[in-house]
Amino acid sequence: MHNLLLAEADTLANLLPARLQMAFTLGFHIAIAVLGVGMPVLMLFAEWRSLRTGDLIWKTLAKRWSKVFTVLFAVGAVSGTVLSFELGLLWPGFMAKFGGVIGLPFTLEGFAFFLEAIFVGIYLYGWDKLSPRVHFLAGIPVAISGAMSAWFVVTANAWMNQPAGFGWDPVSKTVIEPIDPIAAMLNPATAAQTTHMILAAYMVSGFMVATYYGWRRLRGDDSLYTKRALVVALWLGALASPPQMFVGDWIARMVAQTQPVKLAAMEGQFETLDGAPLRIGGWPDMETRKTYYAIDIPNGLSLLAYHDLHAQVKGLNQLEAEGNPLPPVPVVHIAFQIMVGFGTLLLALSAWFVWCAWRKRDLPQSRLFLWGVVKSGPLAVMALWAGWTVTEVGRQPWIVHKHMLTSEAVTQAPGIWWTFGIVMAIYAVLLLSLILVLRTLGRIPLPTGIDNPKKSKAENARAS
Amino acid sequence: MPPEDILLVIIMSALTLYAVLGGADFGIGVWEFNSALQTTPSERKLMAKAIAPVWEVNHVWLIFVLVLMNTAFPTASAAISRALWVPLLLALMGIVFRGASFVFRNYTDDSVRGQELWTAVFAMASTAAPFFLGVSIGALASGMKIQADGSFDGDYLNDWLTPLSLFTGFFAVGMCAYLSAVYLIREAHVAGDQEQAELWRRRALATGVWMGVLAATGLVLLSAQAPELWDRLSERGWPILACSLLLGFASLLAVAWRRYTWGAVGAAATVATVLWGWGVAQYPLLVPPHITVETAKSSPAVLLASLYATAAGAVLLLPSLAWLFYIFKWAKSTTAQPPLEKRGEAAPAGRSK
Repeated sequence: MHNLLLAEADTLANLLPARLQMAFTLGFHIAIAVLGVGMPVLMLFAEWRSLRTGDLIWKTLAKRWSKVFTVLFAVGAVSGTVLSFELGLLWPGFMAKFGGVIGLPFTLEGFAFFLEAIFVGIYLYGWDKLSPRVHFLAGIPVAISGAMSAWFVVTANAWMNQPAGFGWDPVSKTVIEPIDPIAAMLNPATAAQTTHMILAAYMVSGFMVATYYGWRRLRGDDSLYTKRALVVALWLGALASPPQMFVGDWIARMVAQTQPVKLAAMEGQFETLDGAPLRIGGWPDMETRKTYYAIDIPNGLSLLAYHDLHAQVKGLNQLEAEGNPLPPVPVVHIAFQIMVGFGTLLLALSAWFVWCAWRKRDLPQSRLFLWGVVKSGPLAVMALWAGWTVTEVGRQPWIVHKHMLTSEAVTQAPGIWWTFGIVMAIYAVLLLSLILVLRTLGRIPLPTGIDNPKKSKAENARAS
Repeated sequence: MPPEDILLVIIMSALTLYAVLGGADFGIGVWEFNSALQTTPSERKLMAKAIAPVWEVNHVWLIFVLVLMNTAFPTASAAISRALWVPLLLALMGIVFRGASFVFRNYTDDSVRGQELWTAVFAMASTAAPFFLGVSIGALASGMKIQADGSFDGDYLNDWLTPLSLFTGFFAVGMCAYLSAVYLIREAHVAGDQEQAELWRRRALATGVWMGVLAATGLVLLSAQAPELWDRLSERGWPILACSLLLGFASLLAVAWRRYTWGAVGAAATVATVLWGWGVAQYPLLVPPHITVETAKSSPAVLLASLYATAAGAVLLLPSLAWLFYIFKWAKSTTAQPPLEKRGEAAPAGRSK
């Protein structure tokens, strides 16, 4: 008995640092891994253009993007390895009980990652060993398997939101037969959540790359090289943004159906209402049970979540009274506002870009546009993190929705605060080094035959 | 054969491939560490060229072992994660820094300071990762206080440190060093660099002899520290271990006689047989002393699904893998290429003065 109590105390003390460590390492990995999904599309497009036109600019872009991709892929691979260990190290209770049920997508993700690593090796080191055509074709599996591994891994997360495909004994709280791994993988949240994530990966990749070239243009680099890179990157972001809005609507309706607590928390909806308003901004106060300072759009939430102006939206008060534990509502609400707000800004930027590309066949000339482009990458990454905060914090205190509490899954090992601190330090070093290495790559002058941008010319002149 | 046993064979095979391929990649760093970070640029070039296109692929075998273990034997996986919390975290740190420092070194500028820094990190991390993975295997073999349900009621911080686990840690590092030395003779030979081929031949021979001595010591240690495993070894694991001894000896002879491809094959087979000897001896025990294949396995539906997924995946994976190794390890290279990043483009601006 004494031991049991001790174990319980350990568990509670471990919950916060273990969650922080998971959030931190996941956040790092996601930001890098999405570039591993989107960058291959950019580099393959550039290589395809170079094959068609023989233009040195396209070839240089393909080569340079592939180098940036290599570095990011390596860092993404190691930070992903950390996660695959952490699942067991931090959440042994979860893995012991459910590891089998959701093992299938992880296994398939292993294969997708395997194929990606193989073709990354062939693509990156095969420039001189393969014919240009074969080399280009060898790059295609990189883009496909990158998207596939994102898809598989997100199905596992969707399963935590909408557990399916197993029998459950509510008394002993154990998994029983029949277990259906395919049904677990294709749970009700899978379709919307995976589409949302893969589009997000393309948005982040497009806007992050655009940020760099936009910054160069803002600093006076008006070379064709930079312009082309910027335009290609912006097209990726701009094409992914509008469908993301519709997928956002799809996912919100799915959450309304399956996780009403999360939806109410996202919206800061305390009272059950027929025809609930959509709240923009605001601060949900847990004491007074009201959301202050929000701009209400009447009937907006009912319309969006149920496509019916007068649909009833259950509030947090009623849901809690029905026996549902609540997540940290302000965190979920604010994160949701950030995701939607930044997503809308990115959509506006995309619309501006596409409008000018269509009407003027050129980039918008205004400096405000370039300034927006420079901000777009960081905004996209923050929207990505905010979105994951919504889905993960919004599910708390459950690790597996309505089946296992996060506190039941956490490790009882000592010293979790220490490991969290060490992991923070390690990742800080990694991030800093990554930035330094990418900066070094960005400083390599272009090969002769391409106009070196003005800025670098001036730099070169100074250096020599 | 029931599905759980087939999966176990697949897991063991993946672990073997990780050891003989990924182990050699770690071995490169072990050599840089071993030569007190004084490797010459041409040695480093050979080593980097040998592993650059394949190290990430070789690393995925570990992920593969991990996900299949989690899926097929979740109780065993959770038990290992709990009991080996500290050594696995340390191995993970090694894995992270090995991978990161390798690409960072490849893509950083040529400044001496940057290169030296990343070389040092790479060397230490490449040594730490196999050391702590080896320690983990040894710690399990020496018997941790793991209950039948997978819970651990020992001391998280100290229990993994046993004479046997330290030995297996060093043994794993030695195996990595031996593998990469033997492979590098062939790499240097194919690249037409006879001087380096000789250097690695000498290193391989010396390491091989040391590993033989270490293996003999290990058996003595095993009999004292893990009597149960020792009994099983002498009961049915010994033919495989005997093969291992013979193969190790044969690979040394092949290296001595300058049959480098045979040397490489023999060295890989030696490592493989060590692992399989341990596996066969321990079967059906997955995590000593209580957790067996039978008690840890997932439900039949999960096992079958993993099996089908693995079969379907293998159809795509194996030809791709064969192509990768054909391009970089078999097809005759037209000319010895300098590394990608040093080619075509000038040195980074700002440092060029």
